[in-house]
Amino acid sequence: MVVVMTQPDLRVRDLSVRYGPVQAVSHVFLEAQCGQVTAVIGANGAGKSSLLRAIAGLVRPSGGEVHVGEDEITGGRPEEIVRAGVALVPEGRSTIPELTVTENLVLGALWHSRSQRGHTLVQVLDLFPALAERRHAHAATLSGGERQQLAIGRALMSKPKVLLLDEPSLGLAPMIVTQILELIQRLAEDTDLAVLLVEQNAVTALRVARRAVVLNLGRIVMTGTSEEIAADEQLRHAYLGY
Amino acid sequence: MVEFGSYLLGGVTSGIIYALLALALVLIYRSSGVVNFAQVGQATITCYIALTVQLRTGSWLLGLVTALIAGVLLGLIVQVFVLRPVRRSDPAGALIASFGVLIALQGVAGLVWSGEFRAFPQPFPDTPLVIGGAALPFSVYNLVTLIAAALLVVFLAWLFNRTDVGLAMRASAHNPEVARLSGVRVGRMIALGWGLAGLVGALAGVLVAPLTLLSPTSFNVLLVFAFTVAVVGGLESPVGAVAIGIFTGVVLSLVTGYTDATNTPLVALALLVISLILKPEGAFGHRATREV
Ligand SMILES: Nc1ncnc2c1ncn2[C@@H]1O[C@H](COP(=O)(O)OP(=O)(O)O)[C@@H](O)[C@H]1O
Ligand SMILES: [Mg+2]
Repeated sequence: MVVVMTQPDLRVRDLSVRYGPVQAVSHVFLEAQCGQVTAVIGANGAGKSSLLRAIAGLVRPSGGEVHVGEDEITGGRPEEIVRAGVALVPEGRSTIPELTVTENLVLGALWHSRSQRGHTLVQVLDLFPALAERRHAHAATLSGGERQQLAIGRALMSKPKVLLLDEPSLGLAPMIVTQILELIQRLAEDTDLAVLLVEQNAVTALRVARRAVVLNLGRIVMTGTSEEIAADEQLRHAYLGY
Repeated sequence: MVEFGSYLLGGVTSGIIYALLALALVLIYRSSGVVNFAQVGQATITCYIALTVQLRTGSWLLGLVTALIAGVLLGLIVQVFVLRPVRRSDPAGALIASFGVLIALQGVAGLVWSGEFRAFPQPFPDTPLVIGGAALPFSVYNLVTLIAAALLVVFLAWLFNRTDVGLAMRASAHNPEVARLSGVRVGRMIALGWGLAGLVGALAGVLVAPLTLLSPTSFNVLLVFAFTVAVVGGLESPVGAVAIGIFTGVVLSLVTGYTDATNTPLVALALLVISLILKPEGAFGHRATREV
């Protein structure tokens, strides 16, 4: 029997994050493979954002390693990590309201050549028709859903191998959340992107994710396929609150 | 009426100087969140360097170019070696550090070039321009100041709005975290902001020094006016700095013309107070442009 293994695109080994006395992430192992969505779910304060921020270089891990493909990116600066192919969409619709939609997008790929950037811009605007319509408007004038799309679009402009999404559903109407997440799922499959999706909203996240890890108080309490996790009633009661 | 016209146009010229210095303060405040009190100290040093070059070479233009280059370098040096390390450990200390740099630069100027007032040459006559026998209410010097400032403002507008570096600088100023996540080297953009501010301040210095004469502290009063202008204009708004700068220049020139020059600091203070009462975020500022 021949087993074809895809090389996991993001590998996190034994990663820990602390803020002074607070241990926010403890010895986390996880992999996010290309072509699929991997979810990290857990209650408020579980350490989800800290995990993503440590991968993206916004906080320095207190221990452990992060690899992307063949490269180690542990402890790098965010501006270098995004160049290495890992783009983070932080919590809370991280757009710059004073810039136009196009400027917000172009910002994500300033280090690419103008022609390459133009090409990617067309692709991203194709993906988000709402943004294409409002491309000259200031980001401040967009709706919440549009701003989340803009934040994701900015990250996609860098042509990442790994996309880190921190609670994209926060404060959005359920229908818009479904739309955005299904688009992300399709994008992962079609473009061989590895997506690491952090969500408090477990139901939604498990619907689009192939695999998931459950985080509680900074520790992984379960790893498995989305079906396995959704089926585990005890786990749901204990950590996911539904 | 003739008087009024010449006060007005003279006011525009000094207003441009305030506007340029305020613009330098705004460029830095936007990117670093610090009011750089050292700005006039930097301008003083660059003027002394320009003066030295002018005396050695006899070329005013070469002096100007040297001043502009020195202005950029000095801005970079102050940011990288003083403000960056201080700010990392203590944001409030940055303000005090910029005062310290001001005093240090004035000390250096005094040591190297002595504390005496020196004449600062300029090749443009500051007497009413005569065209076809009619004396106009402005001089070649006024005209040159206006054109130089206009060119600089156009250059900055082009840089900020039409170039990649400008976009990266604006993004770094508005949201450094998102800028870094987008691949922008924010530290460099901040340093660049200080360099540009140094350039703007150096130009203001070379333009105003012929009027104020040059001493280690002769630009101090300009700091008061520039600070007023920057705050009234909203601290984050380049357009505000230029518009309020020219407005303030005209007001102070009329005050000087019809009353006495010694009243100008009081009038500037009054402008500051009135503006802070009426519109605390500044005439061109926005409430909550920054996201928390
Ligand atoms: N900058 C910080 N400084 C100190 N403690 C923090 C900081 N950020 C998060 N924490 C703490 O770390 C823990 C995990 O937070 P976070 O990663 O934001 O969790 P989540 O995203 O899952 O809600 C919490 O106890 C939180 O209070
Ligand atoms: Mg979070």
